[in-house]
Amino acid sequence: MTDWAALVGPAWVASGGAADAVDGVVPASVVRPGSLAEVQTVVRAVAEHRHALVASGRGAHLDMGAPPARLDVLLRLDRLTRVVDHQAADMTVTVEAGCPLAALGAALGSAGQWLSLDPPRPEETTVGGLVAANLSGPLRASQGGVRDLLIGLRVVNADGAVVAGGGRVVKNVAGYDLPKLHVGALGSVGVIVEATFKVRPRPPVEEAVVVACRTAREAAETALVLRDSDAAPLWLQVAGAGGLPEGPGEGAAAVVGLGGIAEEVADARACVERVGASLGLRTLFVTDGAALRARLGAFAVEPAAAVLRAATLPSEVGSVMERLAATARERQTVVRCLADAATGVVRAALTEVLAVGPLVKTVRPDLERHGGTLVVERAVPDAKVGVDVWGDPGPGLRLMRGLKAAFDPGGIFSPGRYVGSL
Amino acid sequence: MLPASLVARLRAVVGADGIVDRPEALLVYECDGYTLERAAPEVVVLPRTPAEVSAVLRVLAADHVSFVPRGAGTGLSGGTLPIGAPVMIGTSRLGRIETIDVRNHRIVAQAGVVNQWVTNAVRAHGLCYAPDPSSQPACSIGGNIAENSGGPHTLKYGVTTNHVLGVELALPSGELVTLGGAVEDRPGYDLVGLVVGAEGTFGIVTRATLRLVRVPAAHRTLLAVFDSVDAASEAVSGIIAAGIVPAALEMMDRLIVQAVEAAFKVGLPTDAGAVLLIEIDGPAAGLDAHAARATAVCRTAGVREIRIARDEAERAALWKCRKRAFGAVGRLAPNYCTQDGVVPRTRVPEIVRHIAAVAARHRLRIANVFHAGDGNIHPILLFDERDRDEVARVRAAGREILETCVALGGSLTGEHGIGVEKVAEMPLLFGPDDLVAMTRLRAVFDPEGRANPHKIFPDAKVCVETRVPRRQAAV
Repeated sequence: MTDWAALVGPAWVASGGAADAVDGVVPASVVRPGSLAEVQTVVRAVAEHRHALVASGRGAHLDMGAPPARLDVLLRLDRLTRVVDHQAADMTVTVEAGCPLAALGAALGSAGQWLSLDPPRPEETTVGGLVAANLSGPLRASQGGVRDLLIGLRVVNADGAVVAGGGRVVKNVAGYDLPKLHVGALGSVGVIVEATFKVRPRPPVEEAVVVACRTAREAAETALVLRDSDAAPLWLQVAGAGGLPEGPGEGAAAVVGLGGIAEEVADARACVERVGASLGLRTLFVTDGAALRARLGAFAVEPAAAVLRAATLPSEVGSVMERLAATARERQTVVRCLADAATGVVRAALTEVLAVGPLVKTVRPDLERHGGTLVVERAVPDAKVGVDVWGDPGPGLRLMRGLKAAFDPGGIFSPGRYVGSL
Repeated sequence: MLPASLVARLRAVVGADGIVDRPEALLVYECDGYTLERAAPEVVVLPRTPAEVSAVLRVLAADHVSFVPRGAGTGLSGGTLPIGAPVMIGTSRLGRIETIDVRNHRIVAQAGVVNQWVTNAVRAHGLCYAPDPSSQPACSIGGNIAENSGGPHTLKYGVTTNHVLGVELALPSGELVTLGGAVEDRPGYDLVGLVVGAEGTFGIVTRATLRLVRVPAAHRTLLAVFDSVDAASEAVSGIIAAGIVPAALEMMDRLIVQAVEAAFKVGLPTDAGAVLLIEIDGPAAGLDAHAARATAVCRTAGVREIRIARDEAERAALWKCRKRAFGAVGRLAPNYCTQDGVVPRTRVPEIVRHIAAVAARHRLRIANVFHAGDGNIHPILLFDERDRDEVARVRAAGREILETCVALGGSLTGEHGIGVEKVAEMPLLFGPDDLVAMTRLRAVFDPEGRANPHKIFPDAKVCVETRVPRRQAAV
């Protein structure tokens, strides 16, 4: 038994309990290092004893991925919370992995800037989790995802060494783009300790318009018209029946976020209203666009047996939503769907644990045949039993196995949680 | 020397017209846009299809022969210099645009498709391919992917990696593997993100799925004349601080302005310290307000004169100054070498002062035209190739400038790549553990190290012939 207390101090070590479980697997120990050096020491000890480690921030997103094959140490990085360097005039920020996004947002907000990534639970989501789980929200439609905003990363690798990739400048092609390896890798190839991002000016005004539609398909088609209009959406969501918590009635909707200075937003709103009128659809103006965006973003983490994430082409969003709803009906259950019209990512929330496996098995093959994917993004542990949460990662799997072997030869980082049981 | 039987097997794959092996024909391939070093391959192979690329690589794999990929040869860091690689594989004949999906803003293009062709193919639909390096009319998509190319519009639109959704990669073994694709969010590691910018050391990209963006509805293009680089830099910082994200924010210093004026007679004041080209784009509403704010910022910074393009012709004229700046440099000296470094954008005045000091110390003339909004500098070192001592001073000055970029918190290269040019400088930026991680990554794709060897990493670099350049670097 490793003496973790000797490495990080007795106050920062605890035995794992039910609250620390990752997909029902309870870690023997919860270790909370207080410095980069302590993270390295812990990782070295984990490697030496062939333990298995899952890195975590505040634990808000540990329901993603497959259940870990082994789990000895839950490494919590929630003591590494510094905003290391915010250069407002350079539009960059360097921040430690354990810093919650809400705190980072407050620091950036004082300069009128934001990290334009808006995953749910900003108080509980840390920078490390943001990168490791490749989290995003509605803003991704116009701002891109983690991969587009991350410019540098520091990671503790399986040897306990600190490896830096990228840098602190917005344009940089020196060496391989190592930070990309860790985006969405669920901590399977190293422990993220620090990240540097591009930040942007936050639009001073953010409003939204809900365009009420009869069907999900109509909403998806409307959204594509809006995408290609001069409304220049800041974000663009498609809600199926029940997808919008407080939508206009029971029907579907295209919901468009508009951001900028006042006159830009006013012009964009008029543009959306013109589009709505030309299609014979009712529009509903929402003053607090940011609040509506946050509510839509929270869809991914609302209480559910599982939230599935289907990825398809933007043009197929409507039909995928309809197929998900129809398949659920056939199984006498209900799904609620919300999609990002610009990226083609459709989320479907299921309330019944037993419906998850059959729905995945029914819908996934057809999606994959057409170049799409279906991932069980989040689920309660029972809903993951007997279900392949990831699906087919495609022909790159052999290279992915090679990457895992190269960067985690001892299998200490989150074994079993990633694609292909990596 | 390659065995004749190997060349015969390559000829069998690509046909006689796909093989270049006469010494005089190989001269073209002995350097790219980086002309300070030269080395000719023994043979150049020009496959026509991804399947032929794969077949060529299988022939080479059987004999463990190293190779270097080459696109249009416009690279500026010597990435296509064949060092320890007798075979060059050119992608110029992979020139087909395979599918255009207007509804989904996607296009599939083969590696040899010229960057500009992509935008040309979709412009009628109101779409374009955003990354627009200055070599856009010549450079290829495959080369752009290898170098993760940028351009003047990256401040708002990002670089190549932000616009590549999928690639087909011919691994050094010859295996063709499709990574990513038209649909985003495929589960698993971001292999596409790793391949982009790998400088051809993971294999050869044969085709790519690219993201298209809408052509902006309107532009406001401003040209602001300042007495000094410091004043212009202050305006750059002020524009950013005002919350404006221009599509482009380009700076030209006095030497460049003088050259441009001499070449094109556009009416630029030749005593100006610096000129800023500012472009704001997007929906028409609000553009005038943004332009007015940018103008106010420039006035606060002590701008001497501001011109706003009133129509597309005037906009084109202003851009002509910037895009042809390199051509105009030809008037200043027989030869030039373009450096590529990055500093945090607030450190631009410092690096420009440093460059001036380096120029004085090494008795060189250095002109500056660069992407100020990104902090991506392009000092142009002027020289005469017949002056061997001056050539040596150009090299020393380039190294000093890069050292200072790194010391200021920047990078060795923003868009040209490491290639052979900056191999020796990599340890300035990365420690041994970082470099070990990168070589581990490389080995996953290319375990034998046969794809574009001796690039990026400071290994025992094989001696290449260094001689004075015979032609200009084109940017």
